[in-house]
Amino acid sequence: MNDKADVWQGTLALMVLKTLETMGALHGYGIARRIEQISGDLLQVNYGTLYPALLKLEQEGYISAEWGTSDNNRRAKFYALTRAGRKQLAEEARQWGQTTAIMARFLFPDEEAS
Amino acid sequence: MSPAHPLRTMRAFVLRIGGLFAGEEKNREVNEEFESHLEMQIEDNLRAGMTPAEARRDALLRTGGLSLAQENYRNRRGLPFIDNILRDLQYAGRLFRRSPGFTAVAVLSLAFGIGANTAIFTIVNAVMLRSLPIEDPSRLVQIKQGENTDLTNPIWEQVRDHQNAFSGVLAFAEDRFDLADGGESQFAQGVWASGDYFRVLGVPALRGRVFNTYDDRRGAPALAVISYAFWQRRFAGDPAAVGKTLRLNRHPFEIIGVTPPWFTGLNVDRGFEVAIPIACEPILHTDGSTLDARSTWWLNLLGRLRPEESIAQASARMKQFAPAVYQATLPAHWLPNDLTEYLHNSFDLSPAAGGFSQTGTHYRNALFVLMAIVGLVLLIACANVANLLMARASARQREIAVRMAIGASRARIVRQLLTESLLLSLLGAAFGFLLALAGSRVLLRLISTASSPLDIDISPDLRVFGFTLAATLLTALLFGLAPAMRATRIELEQALKENARSAVAGASHFNLGKALIVGQVALSLVLLVGSGLFLGTLRNLLTIDPGFNRQNLLVINANFEQAAVAKSQRVRVYGEILERLRAIPGVVSASSSMHVPISGSTTNGFVRPEGFTPANLMDSIAFFNRVSPGYFKTWRTPLLLGRDFNLHDDAAAQKVLIINESAARHFFGSLHVVGKTIGVERPPDENTGRPGTDLFEVIGVVKDARYLKLDEQPVRTIYMSSGQDTDPWPNINYEVRSNGPVERLIPSTRAAFSQVNRGAALNFSNFETQVNDSLLRPRVVALLSTAFGVLALILAMVGLYGVTSYSVSRRRSEIGLRMALGEQRKSVSWLMLRDVLLLLVVGLALGLATSLAAGRLVASLLYGIKPNDPLQLAVAVLILACATAVAAYLPARRAARLDPMAALREE
Repeated sequence: MNDKADVWQGTLALMVLKTLETMGALHGYGIARRIEQISGDLLQVNYGTLYPALLKLEQEGYISAEWGTSDNNRRAKFYALTRAGRKQLAEEARQWGQTTAIMARFLFPDEEAS
Repeated sequence: MSPAHPLRTMRAFVLRIGGLFAGEEKNREVNEEFESHLEMQIEDNLRAGMTPAEARRDALLRTGGLSLAQENYRNRRGLPFIDNILRDLQYAGRLFRRSPGFTAVAVLSLAFGIGANTAIFTIVNAVMLRSLPIEDPSRLVQIKQGENTDLTNPIWEQVRDHQNAFSGVLAFAEDRFDLADGGESQFAQGVWASGDYFRVLGVPALRGRVFNTYDDRRGAPALAVISYAFWQRRFAGDPAAVGKTLRLNRHPFEIIGVTPPWFTGLNVDRGFEVAIPIACEPILHTDGSTLDARSTWWLNLLGRLRPEESIAQASARMKQFAPAVYQATLPAHWLPNDLTEYLHNSFDLSPAAGGFSQTGTHYRNALFVLMAIVGLVLLIACANVANLLMARASARQREIAVRMAIGASRARIVRQLLTESLLLSLLGAAFGFLLALAGSRVLLRLISTASSPLDIDISPDLRVFGFTLAATLLTALLFGLAPAMRATRIELEQALKENARSAVAGASHFNLGKALIVGQVALSLVLLVGSGLFLGTLRNLLTIDPGFNRQNLLVINANFEQAAVAKSQRVRVYGEILERLRAIPGVVSASSSMHVPISGSTTNGFVRPEGFTPANLMDSIAFFNRVSPGYFKTWRTPLLLGRDFNLHDDAAAQKVLIINESAARHFFGSLHVVGKTIGVERPPDENTGRPGTDLFEVIGVVKDARYLKLDEQPVRTIYMSSGQDTDPWPNINYEVRSNGPVERLIPSTRAAFSQVNRGAALNFSNFETQVNDSLLRPRVVALLSTAFGVLALILAMVGLYGVTSYSVSRRRSEIGLRMALGEQRKSVSWLMLRDVLLLLVVGLALGLATSLAAGRLVASLLYGIKPNDPLQLAVAVLILACATAVAAYLPARRAARLDPMAALREE
């Protein structure tokens, strides 16, 4: 086993939404690689957590899925952000910003002062 | 991420319900997606320079376990909890199809158990629990005077005009009105209603209008409101019925409206048909109106609580208000003591949301006892099914062991087994519910009589469904949980071994079965003892000597209220009719009387026998009847001393009376009382107010005869001569003894009446039917308790048979070995029986103790038999012992017929 952290269930959904906003329609593997890359390979996404999370977002109507063909001509399911997903992402991002700002003020008050 | 918007969660939930039914297609799609994910990872790895083997290994590591991912995905796609239940149900269904015998026995046991409970509960619900279908019934309260529910019209008028405790009050009285124009009566169920009756109840008119206060003022025209059912029945729903004239007791009433179908009156037992205003009372009661009578108690008062006000608040206001009401309605000419007592009266309130039901009152204890009986039956059925399940569990040991070995948790398997139990009891409940629908109808028909037909709405409502559901879930837990826990407490290794027959933890498994058998036997005995007691009660009631002969007696109730017969002419007309009745061929004898025994109509009063000093007030009370000459001959009540009345005992002669044995012994201490005098108090006259005492001479003594009820202690009865009646009622009973079926006499008796007076309203009945109707409750209780007792017995037999068979099959090898070693067949049977007989003895002892303890609870329903009657107990024990012994013997005998070689080869 390696020591890379598994992504938390809650934040994974937000990362997926952000990834789809940045990259446009993308298949599961692409999403996983992108998240791993952005995290500087600190995170590892396996499909036991990724696909249920995608399914949940799809059930909630934040993303839609469609079968298509990948760059190297492989059949894959492509996920895309819906309008509701875009709204949800904006809202969630705002809340995260707020939360992290508050936490930062709590945990590192000196940096805040400077 | 914070939780999604509720609407989004809902959307997901709906989709997941759909996901429960996802087919293979979906699974393939997911696998394909996973596959492509893996391939892409491998390709990337190859591009990064790994060898194919390395690339594959790294990809597999990164993507994580496939089967776990599949399961996670499936759980997210559907609802795992429900998914499991569905799978369990499917599995259970397959199992049941594979063992139809077991399933049928279990489902039938439960169907009878649950069905019986639902049927009885349906009746209890209808007559005791259900609220009236009116506007906000919980705000409706009855205004009573202590326990006394009947009040006078003057009191009602005071309450109506001056109360400040309620948002509205109403008064009503039930009655029946004769629709026939003379001759044989044809009664409609009637209600005397106050002007606000329908408004306070919140009942609008379906057609026309309902009463208002203006319709209920003195001297108002004769109006009637009819019920929907009556409108349909009598007018076939004709809209033109409103405005038509309806003749009640031969007086015309104009129909002004029809009530909606959901309103059937305040009496739960039978719907109302015609309502007329209280102010119309003088129209029907030409003999004397009771509207101003201050001691005629006939009206029921209800009030609707004000919004936001409690029953206690209303009660306080009414209590404050009471003295003024009673002061204003003092009955004239009462004795000072009685007046003081009258002024002490107050008002008491009680909830009236359920309406009124004589059935509920009369059958209250009987229904509770029946509820307990069917509860026991259900327990026995549960024990039965539990036994069957355990026997099956032992057959499924290996299956369960295998499932546990490959990783199913104990909780998961218990859940699977409980799901099977639940499915069984749901099936049982479904059949039981159908049984109950029919059963409660049959039950209602059983307790309904021609003279008092019941029209109770027993369609199942939410409460009945809830009851059935609760009973179902409870039974599933009762019979399912213990066997499931036992079945999963197994030693895996042992169970998986090829030849292990019983790996279930030790002997404790079978101990539960034993306990169930003991319980079943005990409960069955309780039920058998109960049915024995109720049968004994019925037999006693049917065979008591009531002091009269109930067969071949036609009773005719004649009402002359609307016939043009002056009060002073009544004695003569009544006598003339009697003469004509006696002349009819086939009539052995005939007589007339004020009261008919066991009919519910009575009179009593205080008497002052010569030389008798009462110990207290009750000591000088006696019950009266006024009878014609020939009464005792017609009723076959033996005259012990003295003479019968004759035609010379008329108004001009010395007042005479005949008393019964009990009265003679009580008042004089001897039967030789002919010639003694008895003073009888006249009730204070409403007009002159003079109370007085008439002196009577005793001319005869008759044997005791039952007066009010068959199962009463003989009451002191005093008979007066109808020829000496100074205030004859417009209502009189004739009884005609025939030498054959009494119905044959009806046409000729009707003719005899019309020869004298065409105006009398007649009602014919067979006295024997009346007596049998009065025994309806003991009859129904005996019938049902016996039916349920037999059912319990059968269930116990099935259970015992099952357990013995199971025990035999479990010990096949042992039996085979014993027989191979030369043991006699008889002693093998005995070996099998020994255990069971011990259980029987323990069960019987336990049942006996329970019966003795429970006996007190049914004492109020027994007559002439003690709950601990040794003979009854002995008979019940004997029946149960024989039946269960047979049930146990059959499989035991089979054990003895076992082929030892075959049994041993199986090992």
